[in-house]
Amino acid sequence: MKVFVIDEQKCNGCHNCQIACKDEHCGNDWSPISLPQPLTGQFWVKVDEKTVGQTPKVRVDYHVTRCNHCENAPCMAAGENGAVYRREDGLVIIDPVAAKGQKAIVDACPYGVVFWNEELEVAQKCTGCAHLLDAGEKPHCVDVCTTGALRFGEYEEFAEELEGENVEVMKPELGTKPHVYYLNRPKLFYAGDAYDPDLDECLENAKVTLVRESDGAVFEQVTDIYGDFWFDGQVVGSHELRIECKGYEAVVKKFDADECLNLGSFPMSKA
Amino acid sequence: MSEPIKIKDKTVLKGLGFDSFGQGSNSCEVDVLDGKIVRTRPFHYNYKNAYDPMEKNPWKIEARGHTLVAKEESLLCPFELAYKLRAYSPNRIPFPLKRVDWEPGGDPEKINAENRGISKFVRISWDEATTIIANEIRRMESQYGLTAILAQCDGHGETKSIHGPHGCQTHLLQLLGNYTQQIRTPDSWEGWVWGAKHVWAQFPVGQQRQVNMLKDICEHSEMMLYWGSDPEAMCWGWGGQTASHIAYHFDKLGIKNVFVSPDFNYTAAAHPGKWIPVLPNTDSALQCAIAYTWITEGLYDREYIDTHSIGFEWFESYVMGGIDDVIKTPKWAEEICGVPARIIKAFARDWAAHVTVISHCNGGGYIRSAYSHEPARLEVVLLAMQGLGKPGSGQFIYFQWQLFGMQSTNAGPRSSIIPSIEGCYHGIDQAFIPESFIPKTLIPKAILGDWSEENPLKWHSFTHCSLPASDQFDEYQYPVPGASPIHMIWTDTPCWTTCWNGGNEMIEAARSSKIEFILAQHPWFENDCLFADILLPVNTKFEEEDFADDLLNGFYNHIFYEAPAIEPIGESKSDWECVLEVAKKLGVYDELSEGLTYEDLIYRGWEKSRCADNVSYEDFRKNEYYVIPTAEDWEEDEPGLHAFWRDPQNNPLDTPSGLLEIYSPSLAYNFPDDEERLPYPRYMGDGESHQESRFSPRAKDYPYVMMSNHPRWRVHANMDDVPWFQEIETSKVHGDDGYPYEPVWINSADAVELGIEDGDIVEIHNERGMVLGGAYVTERIMRGAVNQDHGARLDPLEFGVADRGGANNIICPTNVTSKHCAGEVTNGFLVGLKKANMDELRARYPEAFERKFDAATGMVISDWVIEGDEE
Repeated sequence: MKVFVIDEQKCNGCHNCQIACKDEHCGNDWSPISLPQPLTGQFWVKVDEKTVGQTPKVRVDYHVTRCNHCENAPCMAAGENGAVYRREDGLVIIDPVAAKGQKAIVDACPYGVVFWNEELEVAQKCTGCAHLLDAGEKPHCVDVCTTGALRFGEYEEFAEELEGENVEVMKPELGTKPHVYYLNRPKLFYAGDAYDPDLDECLENAKVTLVRESDGAVFEQVTDIYGDFWFDGQVVGSHELRIECKGYEAVVKKFDADECLNLGSFPMSKA
Repeated sequence: MSEPIKIKDKTVLKGLGFDSFGQGSNSCEVDVLDGKIVRTRPFHYNYKNAYDPMEKNPWKIEARGHTLVAKEESLLCPFELAYKLRAYSPNRIPFPLKRVDWEPGGDPEKINAENRGISKFVRISWDEATTIIANEIRRMESQYGLTAILAQCDGHGETKSIHGPHGCQTHLLQLLGNYTQQIRTPDSWEGWVWGAKHVWAQFPVGQQRQVNMLKDICEHSEMMLYWGSDPEAMCWGWGGQTASHIAYHFDKLGIKNVFVSPDFNYTAAAHPGKWIPVLPNTDSALQCAIAYTWITEGLYDREYIDTHSIGFEWFESYVMGGIDDVIKTPKWAEEICGVPARIIKAFARDWAAHVTVISHCNGGGYIRSAYSHEPARLEVVLLAMQGLGKPGSGQFIYFQWQLFGMQSTNAGPRSSIIPSIEGCYHGIDQAFIPESFIPKTLIPKAILGDWSEENPLKWHSFTHCSLPASDQFDEYQYPVPGASPIHMIWTDTPCWTTCWNGGNEMIEAARSSKIEFILAQHPWFENDCLFADILLPVNTKFEEEDFADDLLNGFYNHIFYEAPAIEPIGESKSDWECVLEVAKKLGVYDELSEGLTYEDLIYRGWEKSRCADNVSYEDFRKNEYYVIPTAEDWEEDEPGLHAFWRDPQNNPLDTPSGLLEIYSPSLAYNFPDDEERLPYPRYMGDGESHQESRFSPRAKDYPYVMMSNHPRWRVHANMDDVPWFQEIETSKVHGDDGYPYEPVWINSADAVELGIEDGDIVEIHNERGMVLGGAYVTERIMRGAVNQDHGARLDPLEFGVADRGGANNIICPTNVTSKHCAGEVTNGFLVGLKKANMDELRARYPEAFERKFDAATGMVISDWVIEGDEE
């Protein structure tokens, strides 16, 4: 069974995968696997970018969306007359002839990665570049990923990684059993910095404690030379932040968060 | 399983880098099926398994438990993957065109110069076009002399050999006897050339000698400053993603990153590190305050300064307030540069505590701003204060390794051969210094300026980037005595307005009747093509046969054969063929072509490639390429400025004293009255030439500082019409009217104050004009700064006043770097910002807003061309 593995920590956001897909499919007819993708408007592979946090403590998260080639593919169920089928290698393919006129295939996809081609009256999506695989090549998007963030192969090749930690599939609750796996998806962060306003100095080595209300989890850090702390791997909810530095009065801040936050610069008063 | 689908008929090799001038990169395997390009893939250094993979002597760098290995294929960026759309662009100039109301002969009544950019074009035949051109050249010669012809042939386009692309016309003009050359000023390196060269020389462009810096950094560096540098964006067109690959390796080694830039750039977005936002072109204040911290806290290498430099006392005195009674404290700097004083102090200490290297990728940051010589010189001084040249320290240039075919610009493992395309090259000979020339920055002044034969236009320096600092003390003039001023422009680089300083003035110059004939040859109808009288249609390299090298990829040098991938589009010809067609009409075809076929030229290319001893012509043609081995002894080259650091007396710099000249006696002697570039570096806000700081009275009306980087989704003005890029949110912002506006990055808090929302169309304006943009409201840029990449296509609403496309170079400062430095100023300038009143603009400019545009590609040629048959 073929799978795509996307390591979001390794993605540099170059969009090579998104553009390579268009290079391979826009205007190119790979019948019987696929008809040409329109010049614009469809994204069989798409890179989304999201800026989180606030200046100057920000992060950019890149997220690649594409057909999940689901084990329980809703598009297969929606397609009539065998319009959507699974190849022996596991790739889910929309037969462009049998699928003609079947818009329900587009609507069935819970991931929004099946597109309707008005001109050809056919549903279209990622084919895993099956035509290239059959010619002994890789999917074009995988071939041009320069960082190793996007990989493709048999499940067994990646089994060890995929059965480890920080592995996700999209919308697992739907039971579609995607064959696209995500590693190291970014989590929330809470960051800030501490300083002495009288000396106008950053406070290094201050002890910063973050307590999560929901489960009482406690995270500890010391500030760096810029007085910065940065708690990664967090989740939403109510928190208490405590900054302690020898000779200074402790600072406590409670906050509710549902997104990454730069909690700000905390002035510390001499005790 | 059924019969496999045919995925290609053939594969051809193409170098799709944008350096031009025979310096190739971004090599690709281009697959063709049924006469059409179907896909573009990386070039594999073992293509067709033609050679033993060990023959290229694979290199690796082992240090600190990690190994950096040269890749086995080129690391492409999106540009190559989408470049076929440039061949098939709706904006291709399909056949020779003539502006309807221009007539040859120079009669002011019949030139209708004021209609340039307005009146439309009609199709003419190649025969008619070249007859007109030849006659106009002969008319120039007899009426004014050949210096009346200005050749514009520089900048970055495709990289070709036989076919130029830039400067083919100079071969013809030299054959005819004379012309005037536009000299490209050191656009990517302004500050390094006008400033740093006076401190440390460093041939060719004033950036540090790069030899084996990659290995040195892997082994010794602890911290890397990305000072305005963005290898995840700025290097793409000149080496694909090799720079990204290397940056990731540095991360793996645990090298700490600090990003000093107004924006949270694409490298900061992909790599871990600390972002220190600094307002555009205020770096020199930050640098002075770092020096202050080091001086007052004893955090610098005084002994090194004593033994390796002269004139530190001037700088020290300046920093400590001895010269202007202003102490350059972090608090002082905070007011100017926007970095809190405490962060400046922490940064200074962090730097002093770590072996630090500063990386650059040209463009961006401070190197193209007003008085760019100051931050460049200050950077060298700061590096010196930390023992410049000690292992793991200094300056690192992320790309363009082997620039100008030199080892000194190569940070990677030395190749055994730096190949050359000189045997078949028809582009400009950059070493040729014509009698009559004009720096590119001064072209509008040369055309429109207030000068006379008695009081000619004067400037210092030949202005090409690669000359020694002493060149800057020579004075030149236009016109040269006895020579005619220019009356005709022949450009193969029609993007002055969108890439240079004060484009609105260039538009005025182009529409002046002083210029009787503008000839442009270019593949696409864009930018300065609007102002041409005759347009010749040029091929993309997909349509041409050529011999190529690749020496900027960072892994292995190679030479290769470029077969045509597709048939020429329309009636297009290559740049060289365009010139040959003109030569035919002038009766000098045989002399110019030397009777050589492409086969002959490709043979000559191989013969003089410096690889002829390694690979026979037969093998070269059979395999279509040859990869050059890494030198056996590359590890023995002493890195960077180690030798100078170790023993400055026996390894002097190329400065007059052989030492770092923090105070330059040459500058003091040659320009004793220059208030803008003193003999020693300092913070420079406003001066006689520029008032672009937030402390200028102008800031009342134009309170934001504009940065205008090398674009992420273009190379300068190349590729603005690629629909696949326009779909990316950081590439274009589509207005309610469907038009793709060039994004303007605005900090969220500033946007709230201005009443601007994400996606709004906004006006960026100052007294030089106005451009529109699409608001990209983000936390990725600091308050007080705005960013709009340069190079968006010109789409004038009103000539010299307003532009829809976002070609912001039209509102850059017109003045050059400083009084004696003829460089460009295209970054870090004051602008006002407001939500555009589109109803009002539409009412004011109805015709411009009625022009057709394509929602996928933006403005289109069709509105300027009269359909139909030949006239």
